[in-house]
Amino acid sequence: MKKNNDRSFTWRQVTNSTLFFPLVALSLILLFDFIFIPGFFTIENRDGNLYGSLIDIFRNGSTVMLLAIGMTLVIATGGVDLSVGAIMAIAASVAGILMNPSALRDELFFVTDPTYTFQPLWVVIMGALIVSLLCGVWNGVLVGYMRIQPMVATLILMISGRGIAQLITNGLRIQITYKPYAFLGQGWIILPFSLYIVAFIFALTWILTRKTAIGMFIESVGTNFRSSFFSGIDERKVKLLVYTFCGLCAGIAGLVASSNVRTSDANNIGLTTELDAILAVVIGGTAMKGGRFSLFASMIGALVMQAITQSMYAIGVPAFALQAIKAVVVILVILLYSEQVQAFVRGLGASRKRVKS
Amino acid sequence: MKRIAAFLEKNRKFIPLMSTAVLALLAYAIGAYLFVGMRNPQVFLNLFRNTSFILISAIGMTFVIVTGGIDLSVSGVMALTTTAAAVLLREGMNPWLVIVLMLLMGMSLGAIMGTFIVKLKVQPFIATLAGMWFGRGMCYFISDDAVQITDPTFQIIGKTKLLIPGLMELSERQGTAAPFITIPVVIAFLLLIVAIYVAHHTRFGRTIYAIGGNEGRNEQSARLMGLPVDRTKFLVYTFNGFCSALAGLSLALFVESGHGSYAYAFELDVIASVVMGGTMLTGGSGYVFGTLFGVMVFAVTQALIQFIGSLSSWWTRIVIGALTLIFIGVQTVLANRKSGPRGAQTAEGVAAKRRQQRRLAFGLGAVVLVAIVATVFVSRAGPSAEAETSVAAACTVQFRETEAADLVRAGAVIVYNRAAGPLCVDELYAIYPDGRITADDGQTQVEKQISPAEVEQLLVAISVDHGWFTNEIFSTYLNPCRQCFAHYIDISYGGQQKAVTGVDGTTARPPGFAFALAEIRPLLPEIPVAP
Repeated sequence: MKKNNDRSFTWRQVTNSTLFFPLVALSLILLFDFIFIPGFFTIENRDGNLYGSLIDIFRNGSTVMLLAIGMTLVIATGGVDLSVGAIMAIAASVAGILMNPSALRDELFFVTDPTYTFQPLWVVIMGALIVSLLCGVWNGVLVGYMRIQPMVATLILMISGRGIAQLITNGLRIQITYKPYAFLGQGWIILPFSLYIVAFIFALTWILTRKTAIGMFIESVGTNFRSSFFSGIDERKVKLLVYTFCGLCAGIAGLVASSNVRTSDANNIGLTTELDAILAVVIGGTAMKGGRFSLFASMIGALVMQAITQSMYAIGVPAFALQAIKAVVVILVILLYSEQVQAFVRGLGASRKRVKS
Repeated sequence: MKRIAAFLEKNRKFIPLMSTAVLALLAYAIGAYLFVGMRNPQVFLNLFRNTSFILISAIGMTFVIVTGGIDLSVSGVMALTTTAAAVLLREGMNPWLVIVLMLLMGMSLGAIMGTFIVKLKVQPFIATLAGMWFGRGMCYFISDDAVQITDPTFQIIGKTKLLIPGLMELSERQGTAAPFITIPVVIAFLLLIVAIYVAHHTRFGRTIYAIGGNEGRNEQSARLMGLPVDRTKFLVYTFNGFCSALAGLSLALFVESGHGSYAYAFELDVIASVVMGGTMLTGGSGYVFGTLFGVMVFAVTQALIQFIGSLSSWWTRIVIGALTLIFIGVQTVLANRKSGPRGAQTAEGVAAKRRQQRRLAFGLGAVVLVAIVATVFVSRAGPSAEAETSVAAACTVQFRETEAADLVRAGAVIVYNRAAGPLCVDELYAIYPDGRITADDGQTQVEKQISPAEVEQLLVAISVDHGWFTNEIFSTYLNPCRQCFAHYIDISYGGQQKAVTGVDGTTARPPGFAFALAEIRPLLPEIPVAP
C-alpha cells in the first residue's frame, strides 16, 4: 500500500490522514441515525441548557473519551492498560466512602440529606485521584521497571481491582446523595458539565504531548524502544509516566461515572469500559504495536463507540444484546482497517471512482 | 541441600510447574490442619467437581498461550453454549444432537476468530474480544431469562455419582456419605491426557512450541523453517473453541440451566490458572500438565476462603491476582536470566541488574506470601475461636424444621435457623410482614421491630436480585466444620415458598444463598448469651 503509483495527490493526502477513517465511520453511523431514527438530530433548549440525542452521545461518551485519552498514550508506547475499568471502580469506591463512611461500620445507615458529606468535596476528589494515581504508578512500575508484558501486568490489577474496590466499600453499594458531587456527571452549564472536564483534560494532554517533547518521547519508545534508548530517552520513565497518567484519567472517569449513576457500585462501574476505550483508540488509527498517535482521532473513536450504543438503544435493542452488535461493528472496523481494504480505498482515487465503503 | 540445588539447576524449566504443585498441596495441607471439614475426602474431590469447566477451558487456553496468542472469548462462548443448549433442549431436540451441535458451534466460532487472526493479521486480543461480545450478546437475543434444563439425559450425565473404589470403605467405616466425582470431571481428565499427548508427542505439538515466544521472532523463524504456522494457529483457536463449548456444556450440567450472564469474567480465572500452571504468557514454554496444578491452586484458594468464613468472596480475586503476580515475577526473572542482557550493557551492570530484579521479585513474592498467611491467621485469631472448639466438636445439627413450618403458617415471611458454630448455637428467627422480628435460642426470647417497608425491600432483594425462587439456589448441606455455622432459610413471597439449607465453608454453596444470608443477618436482633 506504500507503493508510489500515479495516484491523485490530494486524495492520498485525505486518505492518509489519521482522521479519515474514524470520520468515515462516525458519519456512516450518523447517516444511519438520520435515515432510521426520526428526531435524532433535534436539540432542545430548556432554560438555556441544551438537550437531545446528539448531546447525549457526548455526555454518555465522556467516560470513554476520558479513558481514551490515557489509553492513547499507553498504546502509543506499545502497551495496553486493561485495568482502567477496575481503577474506575476503585476511585468511585474511595469517593463514596469519603462522602459516607457508614459502610465501614456494620449497621447500615442511609443518608438522604443532599448537603451531607463526611469530607469536603475537594478532599473527596483529591483522595480518589491520588488512589487512582497510585494504581497507575503500580502498573507503570510493573511494566517499566520489572519489564512484565503490559497486558499481563495490567491484568493483575484488572483481576484484583474490583476485589479491592469491594474491600474499600465493605461490599456495599453506597448511594451518593451529595449534590455538588452529583454535579460532576449530571450538571449542565449550557452543555453537560462532564464535557468541560473532558475538554480540559484533552487540552492539557494535547499541550503536554504536542507542545513539549513528551509526545515525541512516547512515539519514539513505541516505534523502537532500543533506538530511543540509544538516543538517550529513558524508556522506563516514559512508561511510568504514561501508565500513571492513564490511571489518573481512569480515576477522573470513575468520578464522572459514579456521580452520573449516583452510586458507588464496585461491581458495575466501569464494567468492560476498558474494551470500549481500547477499541476507541484502535478506531482512531493508533496501531496496537505503538508509535504515532492522534488524540483527536481517539476522541472521534470514542464518539463512534458511543454513537453506536446510543443509536442501538434508540432503535430498541436491549442493553445486553448490544454487545453482539458492537462485536459485528468491531469486525467491520477491523476489516475497514485491514491493509487489503485500505489499499483498495486508496486505489479508488487513482481510478477516479466514487468512494464506497 | 546441595543435591536439591543441583536437581533444581538441572530441571530449571520445571521450577514454575513444581512450585505450583507444591503450593497447591501445601495450601490444602494447611487448610486440612486448620479446618476439620477440609479433611473430608469429598471436599478434596469437590475441588475438581467445582472446577471441571475451568480445567477444560484452561487446557485449550494453554495451547493458545503457548503459541503466543490469547483468547478472551472463552466466557462468551461458554455462556452462549449454556443458553443455546438450554433453549434447544426446551424445544425438545435430541440431547446428543444438542451436544454435537454445541461442540460444532464452539469450533466454528473458534475457527472464525482463527481466520481473522491468521489471514487478516488482527491482534488475537481484539479478535477474540469481539468473539466474547458476540457470544454474550447473542445469548440475550436467544433468551432474556435463565432457561432451566430438565432433559433427563442431561440430568443423568450431570448427576451421576462416580464413587471412588478405595474411599468407599473408608467412608463406610466413618459413617459419612461415600465421596464421589461426576462425569464432567472424568471428561476433563480424559481431555487432559489427550492434550498432554498432543502437546509433547506429535508434530503438531512441537510446531505449537516453535511458534510462540521471543516477541514474535520465533514465529518468523518457524515460518522460515517451513513449519505450517498459519494452519497450526488456526487449528489451535479452533481447538480452544471446542474446549470452550465443552466447558460450557459441563457448566450447563453443573448449574442445570443456561443464561447469558453465566461465566462472567471467567476468562480471567482461566488465564490466571494457566499462568499459575507455569506457562509463559509470552508463549513458547509451558506444560499442559502444569495447568492442572494452576487450576488446583485456584480451587484450593476458593475453598480456603470459604472455609475461613469471615473473609468475603472477593478475597478470592485479590489472592488470585497476587499469586498471578508472583508467578509472573518469577517467570520474568527466569526469562531474563535465559535471554541475557538487553541492549549494550557491561557484564557487571547486567549482573547487578539481575540481582536487583531477582531481589525485587522474591521480595515482592515474600511480602505477598506473608500478607496471605497473616490474613489467614488474623482472621482466625478472633475471640472465641480457640477456646470453644472442644464444645463444637460434639455439636450435632438438627434444624428445627417443624417449628419453622409452624411459624410460616403463623404468617412469618422469612424463617431463619442458625445452628452449630463455635458456640454450638441453635437460633430461630422469624420475620413478619409487619416488621416484627422474633428470635429464640431455646432459652431466651427476643423481639425487635423494623419498618414493613424494610421487610418488603429485603424480600424483593432476596427473591428478585438473588433469584431465590430460581434453580440457582439449591440446598448444599454437609456436616459443618468447627467454626462454621449451618443455615436453614425459609422464604415465602409472592405466593411462592422455598426452604434451603447450607453450611459456611463449602465450595458448592451457591453465591445467591450467601448474598441472601448477608441481607438477612444485619436486621436480626442480638440474643443475649445466657449466664
